[in-house]
Amino acid sequence: MSAIGRSFRRMKAVFIARNLEYLRDRASFGWNLVFPVLIVFALAVVFSGPPRALFTITTISSDDLPELVEFPGVEAIETDRLKALDRLSRQQTDLVVEVVDGSVNYWVNGNSASGAILELLLTYTETRPLKRGETDGDAIRYVDWVVPGILGMNMMYSALWGVGYVVVRYRQSGYLRRLKATPLTKFEFLSAQVLSRLLVTLTASTIVFVGTNLILDYKMVGSIWLLFLIALMGGLAMITLGLAIACRTESKEFADGLLNAVTFPMLLLSGVWFSLDGSPEWVQMFAQVLPLTHVLEAARAVMLDNAGFADITIHLAVLVGFCIVGMALSIKLFKW
Amino acid sequence: MSEVILSVAGLEKSYDDVIAVDGLDFEIEKGECFGLLGPNGAGKSTTLAMLEGMEEPTAGSVRYYGASLPSDYQTRVGIQFQATALQDFLTPFDNLKLFSSFYDDPIPMDQLIEQFRLKDFLHRDSRRLSGGQRQRLLLALALVHNPEIVFLDEPTTGLDPRSRRDLWDVVSDLKADGRTLILTTHYMEEAEVLCDELMILSHGKTLLQGTPEQLITDAGVSDLDTLFLSLTGETLVKTQEVIE
Repeated sequence: MSAIGRSFRRMKAVFIARNLEYLRDRASFGWNLVFPVLIVFALAVVFSGPPRALFTITTISSDDLPELVEFPGVEAIETDRLKALDRLSRQQTDLVVEVVDGSVNYWVNGNSASGAILELLLTYTETRPLKRGETDGDAIRYVDWVVPGILGMNMMYSALWGVGYVVVRYRQSGYLRRLKATPLTKFEFLSAQVLSRLLVTLTASTIVFVGTNLILDYKMVGSIWLLFLIALMGGLAMITLGLAIACRTESKEFADGLLNAVTFPMLLLSGVWFSLDGSPEWVQMFAQVLPLTHVLEAARAVMLDNAGFADITIHLAVLVGFCIVGMALSIKLFKW
Repeated sequence: MSEVILSVAGLEKSYDDVIAVDGLDFEIEKGECFGLLGPNGAGKSTTLAMLEGMEEPTAGSVRYYGASLPSDYQTRVGIQFQATALQDFLTPFDNLKLFSSFYDDPIPMDQLIEQFRLKDFLHRDSRRLSGGQRQRLLLALALVHNPEIVFLDEPTTGLDPRSRRDLWDVVSDLKADGRTLILTTHYMEEAEVLCDELMILSHGKTLLQGTPEQLITDAGVSDLDTLFLSLTGETLVKTQEVIE
């Protein structure tokens, strides 16, 4: 048998053993499937009414904004034109305004009643020349918007803890030392862990995605294969990140701390629960160094806006970068 | 004349400012059972780890048939570690299958199951095995590739007397097969029964080396425990004490 054949045989054996361990651990297997489903349903119930109770105006960076923006009951968010019009077409905002050369440009969604009311108020309160623009697009429910976030969050936890924590547990218990005394190489061991967890993560995400969609019928207008590619690259990026965290860590407590330090910012700043539009620029910039941000932005673009491969190339490229750096660091620094 | 399989010269190992092994020189002949004896902290496990190729010496060398350790040394040795966890939820059968897959020409599983009497608990979650069953499984995993040298790090620590005797039988069979065995132990009787050659360590240094009979006769004492007490001021554990 060739060296590659032997290497593949060892990798396959560790892959199967890890899958067996996971499948027989019914509590954690079940929880990985049940938890995201529960969250999706809970959010679907909690946010089943109209998306928002008050008016939302999105402003495009400019001075001397209309008085209407300051009205009680109006929430204002500032962002760039592209994102603002995107939000308007999804009815995540009711009106978009921009002041250019002393005149007020505004956009409304022709399908939005709130937009029509705000337009009326604007024409009554604004003395400067007005220029109207219109978009269309149906309102998306919060559940449409949040489903990619929940799937991504579940993938993040499954990938980071399922690999990072498990490798540290193996090390602390002496199991890795036992494996070191065999011909198994670091690359073979780490690859088997990555592939095993990737299979688990993709299977769980697919089951949750299909199951919840059958009941909630949330919006999915893009290519399912493109979404699968995003899940594949996102899963790989986060699994390799988990490995990089675990590559030398000896204590489960320390691993807990490190994994929390990585997951918590992603949970808050990657757009799992709410959009970061309108948040300070440095927060948005920081969010771009988090892999989950790219998973979610790409997934939402495909699911909600029918984005094609070219539209999400940058996100995929960043995720590939995370995979390469994570795997290289893991192999270089890994200690049995 | 027997062939020297492992030779150790000037072996040292330090961790920060702690010297665990302090200049050991000895040889191990092919087919013998070599015992490293000593109290906790004597340097037995560290010495063993360097002989296994698991730890790099700080100074000195370990040579295999007079040459440096070959790149495939791990396929020539079998190691039963003092404390080894196995993957949760896997059975002895799963573990045997996993470890067999690491090697080109493993011993058939049926033979291992028979030799180490694993049949009764072959499909039980490894976490639910008794101490003796677990040690037999770990020994089977160490032997799965039919190694030339077998390292046993305190193989009977924590076992009940019956399980300890069972394991002695298994080790005696391995000796009869002509394998080279290197073991560490706290137990005087175990050392006397199993080992052809003994090295007594204290604080990382060799205190005495020889056959069990030689050591007792030369020192003019009645048993190894008395000898050990006179050398170190510490006693080894007598198997009878454990039984009682």
